[in-house]
Amino acid sequence: MTIHLYLSLIPEALVASHLPPEEYGAYLSLGPKKRSHGQAIFFKLADSYAQKKLEEFPGIAELRDGRLRRSAYLGIHKILEQTPLDALETLHLTTNDGHVLTLHPGEYIPDPGPRYHLYQEFCPVTPRVASTLEPREFAATITDTSKPVSLPAVAFAELTLDRLGDDPEANGVDNLPYRSIEHLRDCLRELRAKQTKSTKLVVRYLEQDVLFRTILGGFYVGSQGGAFRFFPMPSRDELETTHYAWWRSALRSTGL
Amino acid sequence: MHSNLFWLIPAASLLSLGYAFWFFKRMVACDEGTPLMREIAQHVREGAMAYLKQQYKVVAIVFAIMTLIFVWLAYGLHLQNKWVPFAFLTGGLFSGLAGFFGMKTATYASARVAHAANQSLDAGLRLAFRSGAVMGLVVVGLALLDISIWFLVLNKFVTAASEAQRLMVITTTMLTFGMGASLQALFARVGGGIFTKAADVGADLVGKVEAGIPEDDPRNPATIADNVGDNVGDVAGMGADLYESYVGSILATAALGAAAFTQAGQNENAFKAILAPMVVAAIGTMLSIIGIFAVHVKKGASQKDLLNALGRGVNLSSLLIFVASFFILKAFDLPNYTGIWGAIVVGLLTGIVIGKATEYFTSQEYKPTKDIAESAATGPATVIISGLGTGMLSTVVPVTAVVVGTTFAYCLAAGDWHFSPDSIGMGLYGIGIAAVGMLSTLGITLATDAYGPIADNAGGNAEMAGLPPEVRRRTDALDSLGNTTAATGKGFAIGSAALTALALLASYVEELKMAMMHAGQTTMEVASVQVPIISATLTQFMTHFEVHLLNPKVILGVFIGSMMSFVFCGLTINAVGRAAQSMVEEVRRQFKEKPGILRGEDKPDYARCVAISTLGAQREMILPSMLAVLVPIGVGLIFGVPGVFGLLSGGLATGFVLAVFMANSGGAWDNAKKYVEEGHLGGKGSAAHKATVIGDTIGDPFKDTAGPSLNILIKLMSMVSIVTAGVNIAFTLF
Repeated sequence: MTIHLYLSLIPEALVASHLPPEEYGAYLSLGPKKRSHGQAIFFKLADSYAQKKLEEFPGIAELRDGRLRRSAYLGIHKILEQTPLDALETLHLTTNDGHVLTLHPGEYIPDPGPRYHLYQEFCPVTPRVASTLEPREFAATITDTSKPVSLPAVAFAELTLDRLGDDPEANGVDNLPYRSIEHLRDCLRELRAKQTKSTKLVVRYLEQDVLFRTILGGFYVGSQGGAFRFFPMPSRDELETTHYAWWRSALRSTGL
Repeated sequence: MHSNLFWLIPAASLLSLGYAFWFFKRMVACDEGTPLMREIAQHVREGAMAYLKQQYKVVAIVFAIMTLIFVWLAYGLHLQNKWVPFAFLTGGLFSGLAGFFGMKTATYASARVAHAANQSLDAGLRLAFRSGAVMGLVVVGLALLDISIWFLVLNKFVTAASEAQRLMVITTTMLTFGMGASLQALFARVGGGIFTKAADVGADLVGKVEAGIPEDDPRNPATIADNVGDNVGDVAGMGADLYESYVGSILATAALGAAAFTQAGQNENAFKAILAPMVVAAIGTMLSIIGIFAVHVKKGASQKDLLNALGRGVNLSSLLIFVASFFILKAFDLPNYTGIWGAIVVGLLTGIVIGKATEYFTSQEYKPTKDIAESAATGPATVIISGLGTGMLSTVVPVTAVVVGTTFAYCLAAGDWHFSPDSIGMGLYGIGIAAVGMLSTLGITLATDAYGPIADNAGGNAEMAGLPPEVRRRTDALDSLGNTTAATGKGFAIGSAALTALALLASYVEELKMAMMHAGQTTMEVASVQVPIISATLTQFMTHFEVHLLNPKVILGVFIGSMMSFVFCGLTINAVGRAAQSMVEEVRRQFKEKPGILRGEDKPDYARCVAISTLGAQREMILPSMLAVLVPIGVGLIFGVPGVFGLLSGGLATGFVLAVFMANSGGAWDNAKKYVEEGHLGGKGSAAHKATVIGDTIGDPFKDTAGPSLNILIKLMSMVSIVTAGVNIAFTLF
């Protein structure tokens, strides 16, 4: 029986399991008897990396014996920074009722796109940050050791700003589900006013589920030294056709 | 010549039933889609029929007991007309049949509509609407058939001392079959309302407090019960409700017409006045069929085009009956027929005004609902406060419309703008025929109501079966339109119930007259003078029974009547809460015993959830329904006729306003949530969305259980009083 290794982003953890990604996602989301429910975002690590990594954990004999084990936690600290980005095979987004969407890595092509960006970091910390930097630049800045504060690695997603992405004063942004749009506007105004400032903290930590409908482009992982991976989200059309069950579930999630 | 016009009534009935059958056969001939679509539809069908079977069992027991009581009153104590037990039974039977056929059609139609939407929006609309039309046409067809049969039988067999008395006996006897329809309607509305909301709230709560599973996810064991609920509540319940209003308004008007003209010694005109509302209804039915054929849209139609298509059908029928009713009344050559026609027009206009007001206060296109949604920015508490306030304010237009409409209908028919006592009879006839006017195109207006749940179920079927996005967009468009027509339909049902109950209140006096004559009385004392009962005016009856506001028995009755509306709402709302809780517990049990359900490996036990909701609804509907029957009898036995008048007045005034408030609050909360989901105020998943979801959950039993059930309460209490008028005359404590 294959042992899979997963890197969970919320919360950060390294987990071994006999369950394949779809079942593991449903398990994380629903629990064994539905008592718990909630969103999950996790990477499946490459099997070759997993085999090597598991050798560091002689205590998980039951997994090696082939006895079914849904989850065996191997670590909950500094997991992302210790994982080579090449080992991130696929990213899995699980809705709070157990539907799992698999994202494969893709080539990152910088998009001249909007002037301002909004990033939700997931690991190792969870602030929401407004920035003038495009994703690769943002990852490089966050992991730049020459800065007073930096991270060894960061996993994040870009969130939509609709028309605020070009103009912090724009109207018609009624579909943005963020708390206190005015505060968000203030943050963007500050970026506009201070040309030297490239990032501005909007929310200190993730307070609730991420609404998958707000993800723009996809998920990114960067680490010191300039390593960078991109896991693009399918297009809206693809979500409505190929991944409809997941998309419908994602849209209906209110976090209640 | 005038008696020949009678044959239009059975002809319209047969035509209506014939078209209903044709629409049904054409719908059944359509493809039901993929195996999964068929399977889902089959689950819903089985659940709906299981519910109806169980409900009819309970109703049969209640009807058997009530019939025995009526037999005892009629044949044992001789306090009642001997036809009453049979009339009561047929009223219940036909109303039950209407609900059965309507629901059968709706449950067969949903998957077919989803499949038809695969071809085009027009195909989906046509099939959904014509399936809804089966309900509309069956209701009016069976009602006219029941009326025709009873009129023929009674006209043949009833004999009396005079022609005037004979006509009075015929009309007041026919009126009693309305009680069977009322009682059946109450069970359908209350039971259906509890079922649908217990299933809906239960299925929804599963998502919120259990596994986060959406209410229409196939893994949710309550999802089929939720779909079944749309049918038993909105199709069978609404159908039985309007069947009863339709029959009640026609028969009450006939009784009032007979009374108005026989008092003046005009027996021939009395006969015409009896037939006139029936013929107006019959022609209205034929014109409804024409309107149904006018509903279609072109390829690539927008949401507005869909709404216009339905509006075109309803407006065409209304316009045609507007013209046709004039010629019908002209053909009858009733005195002041233009005034009576004016009353019919007033009825039609009142219905339109109430429908538009309902739309204004509950649609997300307008300010009141947008304001509720905007109050979500400060959380669920302000959503609730704002919804309650809006619902209360929304009573202004419907109540004013009924007040103005009643005034005009009364004065136009009476030909007198001073409310003089001499013209009360004709004035009340005007009120009755205004209700008939409002309901004359019921065939098509009920089709637009029944269309709603069919489109809703089609959408659910398309979602669960994972049909392509284009199809789901079409079924969403049909569903969205159904929400608008359903809200308007509820307003229409409430408005027609208010006018019908007013007519029934006046008819109660006629039943008292018949009961007194049945008891052997020929005269009564009015201001120390003996007046012959057969020719006594309504004012003299009021004087004889001391029905005035200074009589404490009237005031006490008013208090009890007002209280009844609130008690009834409280019982039904709490019933939904309890039944929904049972549903959540059942879902928990299934998840615990079969963990594979959540992984999609095991199938949920849908039938068990349907059974839970059914049992909950049956258990919970007994107390409120019995209260509606027993309280008028109890008040009559204790406070006599003045108490009953107070009870009916208080119940009507409070029940009508409360029903409007509850229906509109619930509708506005529902659409405030939809407004946010359309992408306003943060859209789906935002804090505003969560706040409006809470408002919507509170509004569910308001708009779909308590509010609609009040329509029937106010009519049933009048019907019970009418049927037990003989008991009121014979026994009174005070």
